[in-house]
Amino acid sequence: MKISPRRILYLYWRLFSQQLKAMMEYSADFYIMIGAAVMTQVTGFLFLWVIFSRIPDIQGWQFWEVAFMYAAIYVSEGVGSLFFEGTWRMLRLVNLGELDRYLVRPVPVVLQIFCTGIGMNGLGNIIIGGTIIIMSLSHIHIVWSLQTVGMAIILFVSAMIIRVAINLAANCSAFWIRNSGNAFPIMIHNLGEFAKYPITIFSLGLQLFISIVVPFAFVSFVPAAAMFGKESWSYLGWFSPLVAVYCCGVALLLLRIGLRRYESAGN
Amino acid sequence: MGIKKYYSLALCSMQNTLAYRLSFILNFAANFIGLIAMYCLWQAVYDGRAQLSGFTWPQMQSYLLITFLVNSMLSYYSESGITNKIIDGSVMMDLLKPLHFQKARLAETLGSCVLEGILSCVLIGVLAVFTVGASLLQDGLTSFLFLISLLSSILVKFGIVYITALLCFWTMSGIGLIWARMAVTNLLSGALVPLAFFPPWLKSIAMLLPFQGIVNTPVTIGLGMTEMIQALQLIAIQWIWIIILWLLGKWMWSWAVRQITIHGG
Repeated sequence: MKISPRRILYLYWRLFSQQLKAMMEYSADFYIMIGAAVMTQVTGFLFLWVIFSRIPDIQGWQFWEVAFMYAAIYVSEGVGSLFFEGTWRMLRLVNLGELDRYLVRPVPVVLQIFCTGIGMNGLGNIIIGGTIIIMSLSHIHIVWSLQTVGMAIILFVSAMIIRVAINLAANCSAFWIRNSGNAFPIMIHNLGEFAKYPITIFSLGLQLFISIVVPFAFVSFVPAAAMFGKESWSYLGWFSPLVAVYCCGVALLLLRIGLRRYESAGN
Repeated sequence: MGIKKYYSLALCSMQNTLAYRLSFILNFAANFIGLIAMYCLWQAVYDGRAQLSGFTWPQMQSYLLITFLVNSMLSYYSESGITNKIIDGSVMMDLLKPLHFQKARLAETLGSCVLEGILSCVLIGVLAVFTVGASLLQDGLTSFLFLISLLSSILVKFGIVYITALLCFWTMSGIGLIWARMAVTNLLSGALVPLAFFPPWLKSIAMLLPFQGIVNTPVTIGLGMTEMIQALQLIAIQWIWIIILWLLGKWMWSWAVRQITIHGG
């Protein structure tokens, strides 16, 4: 079955807006989620600020450069929650057999999974993270040209795709690990901690791990290195789109294998 | 009368944790990732520096280990248990039982804390052997005071967690509240960065709040950074907060049950 990209966007919009209506019914939840995300980020930012008030730089990385990486992780998390929160609901879909409904509809399963929910905390993450990114960019000297703008867009889009693909792949564990809560995907999610800082502070094995196996480095570190012209690393920026394709491939493959294993819950 | 029933509750929650051991271990591993990231970050920060804000690198290493220990006790796992009860309405069943709600939750929390504590102690013991020169617990008296402050810190944390959970009666939002509480606790307890690193104004605010009793107190005592008298004072402050938070929780509960909404029947 082939569906045109336009139709997919239309379907996505329809599914998303339905979820939004459901979400708005619980308005207290809505504000608390945004507030919680803002608070988490502000404390993280304060943490960096406290460290950098004692030392000038970490292995040649200045405060605003690290703040940029920190915020990049949060913005990607925000995009993942706001627009693709459904990946985090897969455990429920699989365990309660709700995936049945998705499988009989003439709409791609991935699309339906993406639209299973909306995480309003994502909005808070995007707003604060975006603000910190803009502040960092204004504090760091970058020569803006058509090339750098193009590069920035490519890096950003790739980073978001990589993040969402990692979420999807990690949550596919629901097909294999029954009854364990979201513990496994949360563990993968936490690997993002490593990408909040320049990865050169880690051992080589760890660097390779978060660049290749679970490539969080391409969400924050590589874009930062490429944008700020860190010589020995900036060339990695050109691999970003490739890594995005690789992540999507692995995630979709895992989903396919998982769906084949899926046996509905009796009722 | 009645201590026995709470004891069996604690035992039940311990068995419950054991039943979902994969989940328990994965959660633990997730926290452990955070520890490794922080460890490497601080290692880079201390590169070429003897000390920062009165902390040497070996002291900082111990700081990270103790913080991890304190944070992995009373984890998210037991915390979300209380909020879930309120959100899905199963709190109704607790209202029918001849148990004190607050004491019962404390018993359950302590039950799973035992396992969390044992696992993290083993792990930290191994790590402390590998991290050269970790200046952990130098003498018997310090260790004793540290142990007391560590146990008290669990009670302080329970007080805060319990009150946050009760807020669900009004907000109907569980996870958002937990996240907000975590963010505030992490910063103001000294779990992210020692309070000694804070600018003076932020530090004095933090010292006036209950959060510092969770991480700052056991860590400064464990590192032997306090005199005997000071250590006892810090523990006394922990207990003042334990009592205040307990009474506050009790008062909130009696207020909350009056306006409970339970969906479905």
